[in-house]
Amino acid sequence: MATGPLRFATPHIEELPTTHTRQAPGFAWVAVSGAQDDSSKNWGTANRKRARAQGGGQTEAQKEAITARQQREIERKIKELNSDNSKDVQIPLPKREGTGGGASRAGKTSNTKKILASGKTFAHYLDDEEAEIARTGRRDGDLEVQMPAAQPRPSKTPLARRKTLGEDGSSTGGTPIPQSLNARRSMDHSSRPSTPGASRLDEQNEDQQDIPTLPTDAELDVLLKAPPLTYNQARSAPPPSNAPPPRRFCEVCGFFGRAKCMKCGAMTCSVLCKDTHDEHRCLKFYA
Amino acid sequence: MARKGASKGADAAPARLASRTLVLDNGAHTIKAGFSPLTTDSEPHADAECHVVANCIARSQRDKRTYIGPELLEECWDFGELAFRRPVEKGFVVNWEGEQAIWERTLLDKRSPLQCDPHEMNLILTEAPNGPSVLQRNMDEMVFEEFEFASYYRTISPVLNAYVPPPFPSTPALPSGTAAECLLVVDVGHSHTTTTPLHHGRPLHAACRRLEIGGKTLTNRLKEVLSRTVEVQKEDWIVQEIKEDVCFISQSFSSDLERVWKGGLKDPRDVDTSIVVDYVLPDYEAIKRGFSRPHDTKVSRKDRALGLHGGPREHIVTIANERFTVPELLFTPSDIGMQQEGVAGTILQSIYSLPQGLWQPFLANILVVGGSSKFPGFLERLRSEMESRVSEEYLVRVAQAEDPLKNVWAGGARLARSKDALSPLVVTRQEYLEHGDVWTRRKFAGKV
Repeated sequence: MATGPLRFATPHIEELPTTHTRQAPGFAWVAVSGAQDDSSKNWGTANRKRARAQGGGQTEAQKEAITARQQREIERKIKELNSDNSKDVQIPLPKREGTGGGASRAGKTSNTKKILASGKTFAHYLDDEEAEIARTGRRDGDLEVQMPAAQPRPSKTPLARRKTLGEDGSSTGGTPIPQSLNARRSMDHSSRPSTPGASRLDEQNEDQQDIPTLPTDAELDVLLKAPPLTYNQARSAPPPSNAPPPRRFCEVCGFFGRAKCMKCGAMTCSVLCKDTHDEHRCLKFYA
Repeated sequence: MARKGASKGADAAPARLASRTLVLDNGAHTIKAGFSPLTTDSEPHADAECHVVANCIARSQRDKRTYIGPELLEECWDFGELAFRRPVEKGFVVNWEGEQAIWERTLLDKRSPLQCDPHEMNLILTEAPNGPSVLQRNMDEMVFEEFEFASYYRTISPVLNAYVPPPFPSTPALPSGTAAECLLVVDVGHSHTTTTPLHHGRPLHAACRRLEIGGKTLTNRLKEVLSRTVEVQKEDWIVQEIKEDVCFISQSFSSDLERVWKGGLKDPRDVDTSIVVDYVLPDYEAIKRGFSRPHDTKVSRKDRALGLHGGPREHIVTIANERFTVPELLFTPSDIGMQQEGVAGTILQSIYSLPQGLWQPFLANILVVGGSSKFPGFLERLRSEMESRVSEEYLVRVAQAEDPLKNVWAGGARLARSKDALSPLVVTRQEYLEHGDVWTRRKFAGKV
């Protein structure tokens, strides 16, 4: 790297396609993660043949586990279920009668003009913010920069008590986590209280007295002043690993799934439902 | 701990505030809006003063008309094949072009009961928690630069619930303008379900959690499962009505599911007819609104549709396990493969991320609000799940707001009645023009 000084630590810039909306003005920041962890995309480098030979074929657990492809299918479906607008419909606003026509809809100031003309979706805004965090290590830099007494992340106590995020903390998969968050992650990984009295912190408490007391005003103040979590951080974590496995349901009638289709992996509950499945649904992608 | 700056701002109060306040709970599905006059001794009546406005732009395929916001409920009579465009995405106003049209129709139009002059109006506006800050800036700019409200207080919607007297027995009366000491708000909304612990009305941000299942997820899911028998993919509105009419939360999921199982058409076993219902779909000619009735096995669906059974022609859809497997997603998101814990688990994630000393006060003050918490059996199920998951030494109290839909609005209206409480919270238009948008956001973040 002889050309050291010429290398800039900028994130990769990519223009995102906006299919359902008008093209957003300008560009969108996209965080680029480091190495790809997705094993399904890692198709050349890992010696899968060797791994298979060593493992002695698939274990039962592996066979049961859903494949990456199925996982993607599930994610697509959840995204569809959570979509706000009607599918494949574009509803333009009607032209207004009176009240100045289109002029006032265009916005009164340059700021609002920009906002009203924006075709960005929520995903764009989320990516922008994730990229800003990846770039600067904090969100909404404006708010923090002007703090009079350069306040670092509030004291360590509440952060340590903060609950760990799920390993896949962000919807975007490989979204990088800012350094400070990474540190916090590793710090509280072991101290996640799942039941009362289970965590390290609780043990400390119990050494002193049996009944936990209310935190002091100072402690509370720190908690109250903590900055809001980001959208991805606030997402509910997955169930603990000792939770019962997810239930599977019959694809045809909705009862508990009892038998798994050998071809496509869908569940059915009875012979009749299996017949319906074979006739109409099984491997519909190939038929 | 008193609200910061409450005494400081009190003397300047009259100059800072306009005489009337508009409380606008800008939900993804409906806007809950109404005026709260500053000088009145009577309690704000949510039923009379809070208007529910559809927060969407709907297009009907049948009369080729576009309905904006309130027009949908006032003027639309045929909800078949309505297509929706919602400016609020995942709980946040994203498409301001659409939202502006709806707000203008709601607040500036002569036909609207909420018509007002924003220049003489304080605005209390809600947003969803944990949003990207750019969207907050957009909201501030639109309020001050486009609509030009006199003064404005933006807050996350769970906060306002703290100003309503909590429905728990033996809680002291709450004077208006003061917030409950400890309250864990579970807001089961249209876009998602959030849990927010509030201490004297201020959120403990580190413990806010969000489960990404809300009313729209359930409607879309019901649409999907009903489409196994009847094609209803395009009937957003009707399926939503079906959901509201017949869905319930099961108290014992697996036994209920056993009771309605019929292992195919020829299976001789009887299904439990107390659960299976026939839902008569509206045709908007004879039947204006769909309704349910007990399942009738004698006449087939096709005969009914053709009028061969001797009665009027009607389209029915038989709904059995869908009645409770769909809202069950709120408690078991893993049923559709979602990697998140259910409502009870999310509440506990939220509480356990706090210092242990705070667990008891929040466990004993869990308040459920939001339109999607209206399913029959929701409260009982949540209570029993919480009790089974929490150690016995803790007291668990779960209560539902009197009107889950309008509780946020009611809280805002109570806050608006107290000048002393509201005045230090708001940013006036003059202050905004003087100090700029960054200062405004810092003010709402409690950093000024």
